[in-house]
Amino acid sequence: MSNVSEISPAYELCEASRSHGEGSTLVLALDALDMTIERGEFLAVFGPSGSGKTTLLQLLGAMDRPTGGSVSFEGQPLERLRDSALAELRLRAMGFVFQQFNLIPTLNAVENIEASLAPLGMPPTELREAAEEHLETVGLAPRAHHLPSQLSGGEQQRVAIARALARSPRVVLADEPTGNLDTRSGEMVMDLLARLHSELEITLVLVTHDEWIAERADRAVRLADGGLVGDTSGQVPAQVPR
Amino acid sequence: MFFVRYLLAELRRRPGRTALTALGLAIGVGLVVVVGALSRGLDDAQDEVLNPLTGVGTDLSVSRPITVPADRGPGAAGTGSFGQLSAGEQDELMRENRNNTLDFDLAKLGDPGEEYSVDRVLATELSFPTSEVGNIRGLDGVEDAAGSLTLNAVTLRGTVPEQSTPGALALHGGESEVISETVSGVDVRKPDLGAVTPGQISQGRYLSGTPAKARGEAVIDLGYARQNDIKVGDTTKIAGGRFEVVGISSAALGGEASNAYVELGRLQQLSDRKGRVNGVQVRADSADAVNGVAEGVSDELPGAEVVTASELADRVGGSLADADSLSSKLGTALAIVALLAAFLIAALLTLSSVQKRIRELGTLKALGWRQRLVVRQVTGESLVLGALGGLLGAAVGVAAAAVIDAIGPTLEASVAQQSSGGFNPFGQGAVSAGSTDVALGAPVDAGLVLLAIGLAVVGGLLAGAAGGLRAARLRPAEALRSAE
Repeated sequence: MSNVSEISPAYELCEASRSHGEGSTLVLALDALDMTIERGEFLAVFGPSGSGKTTLLQLLGAMDRPTGGSVSFEGQPLERLRDSALAELRLRAMGFVFQQFNLIPTLNAVENIEASLAPLGMPPTELREAAEEHLETVGLAPRAHHLPSQLSGGEQQRVAIARALARSPRVVLADEPTGNLDTRSGEMVMDLLARLHSELEITLVLVTHDEWIAERADRAVRLADGGLVGDTSGQVPAQVPR
Repeated sequence: MFFVRYLLAELRRRPGRTALTALGLAIGVGLVVVVGALSRGLDDAQDEVLNPLTGVGTDLSVSRPITVPADRGPGAAGTGSFGQLSAGEQDELMRENRNNTLDFDLAKLGDPGEEYSVDRVLATELSFPTSEVGNIRGLDGVEDAAGSLTLNAVTLRGTVPEQSTPGALALHGGESEVISETVSGVDVRKPDLGAVTPGQISQGRYLSGTPAKARGEAVIDLGYARQNDIKVGDTTKIAGGRFEVVGISSAALGGEASNAYVELGRLQQLSDRKGRVNGVQVRADSADAVNGVAEGVSDELPGAEVVTASELADRVGGSLADADSLSSKLGTALAIVALLAAFLIAALLTLSSVQKRIRELGTLKALGWRQRLVVRQVTGESLVLGALGGLLGAAVGVAAAAVIDAIGPTLEASVAQQSSGGFNPFGQGAVSAGSTDVALGAPVDAGLVLLAIGLAVVGGLLAGAAGGLRAARLRPAEALRSAE
């Protein structure tokens, strides 16, 4: 089984669907999506609001279960795993970067990174050292003891990236990581993500509205109304699907 | 440890929420402490009133009220309650009360214009032989008993009127003054069962321990002494005899609230009632024996009225009784309401706080925190908040109780006069009902404080666990979506 996992792609989606509500209020957020994401790939998911990008990211991140079809991570069908197993997978294999940063407001920068490492049961000193090291990676060591409210948007997102990478995940899932940033901060964050992707050889799945971000990815897919309407597989990523 | 630092950071860096929750709990806990302290203060106040009322160690008071059937007039002692008495006893009562009236012929007091002074001793209750005290002492369940004699000593003085004619009714014409005082004879060998007890002495001392030594001594009630400017060491005239005042007693609320207390044998002699008493104070072997003793006494002494200490306590009225009644009726309810309010406040604030933190908790779950870890974190915060609120509430409650203690609001306790049938066939006076003020304290019970804190902690724990579980059961996607 482990051999199968090793050769499996990062993700395989087979007619994956996700609906919300029921009856007249039923909304099909993702409609029978087939997709494969290779290990180490930098994939941009592109599309208008309501196209199902975030829903797709949540299924990939084991934060939600499909209502139909299957989502496999490294060969494991996520829909068959218990909640505790999904939590374990999120803890040890995945990192998340959110549009709103989602830092814990009462914890300072270094403590926010510790929050992501704490469930691993590391000794306090080791925990602090690891958190400080990752904060340094994103260039924010001098801001270690600042609360999120004392940091700029760009700095907060860099803390969030350090938090996502702290546990050395195999996959990083970023939901519009530049959505709340000005252009300069957005570029800085994208540069950081791209650099870490190439240095750490992680799989990076990034949801975005912005064409210029999608153009930096290895591959870009376009969603509309919960379905895949374009894929640059085998093309130059700069050709964002329309 | 990270989880503790996170917990403390949540409390420290959300001061508004922490203060609001802790304050809500503190109000509830404070209310419980204050209500408990007031309730205990009321109990203490009632005890303070009842101690002199019931006498130290007296479980029952026995008397024979002056009652006759409604269709009988004065002296009609052939049937009814009196019909149960022996002929000799009926004769004795008739003799004893023959002169129990203020009617007399003024013309026999002297010539018109001359000054006169007449002493009369009137019974307030029918007497019975001292031997009955021994009989009562012999009843099953009786540990000890002491007899007493309570009378109205009346002095009538003035000048003989000019127009008085032989056989005329008293108190018409001339100048006259009536001085009335109640006096009780006490068995000095049994001071704890007396109408006045050593515990009631506020100045001077109690009557001497032997009848011979106590013959010329008197204890005067504080109110009466103030009214008549009587002090310890004075010599005063009571029931026609002269006595040295050896002590001043605090007013005994209700019961035998006499103006003066003297040795029993001396009063019997002065009132021409040798070997007679009209009250018996009884101490039972145990609280369980009281009712049986009361029945035994009623059988032993026809026409006797037996009042137990608890019945006497029931006769306490006034604002103290109202407050105590309010406390017993509403105190518990108020404490429960306060606790429920504290629980509710803790639960609502915790749930509201958790609701506002859905995104944060969803993020933690997205980061791989398991459900129980999230619940543990939220519950831990609520637990600490509960303890904080509990301690704050205890401090507020103790402070409020201290303020009440310092102010010491007074409550009035009164005792209604014991019914004696409403008909006084021999014109006797009556022992007056009493009232007294008692300061209300608010003693804080450490156990109650600990209980209130404990309940606040448990409240916080339960509310936190419920709120945490509710949030933690959401999938991360749901939690993040619901927060958007």
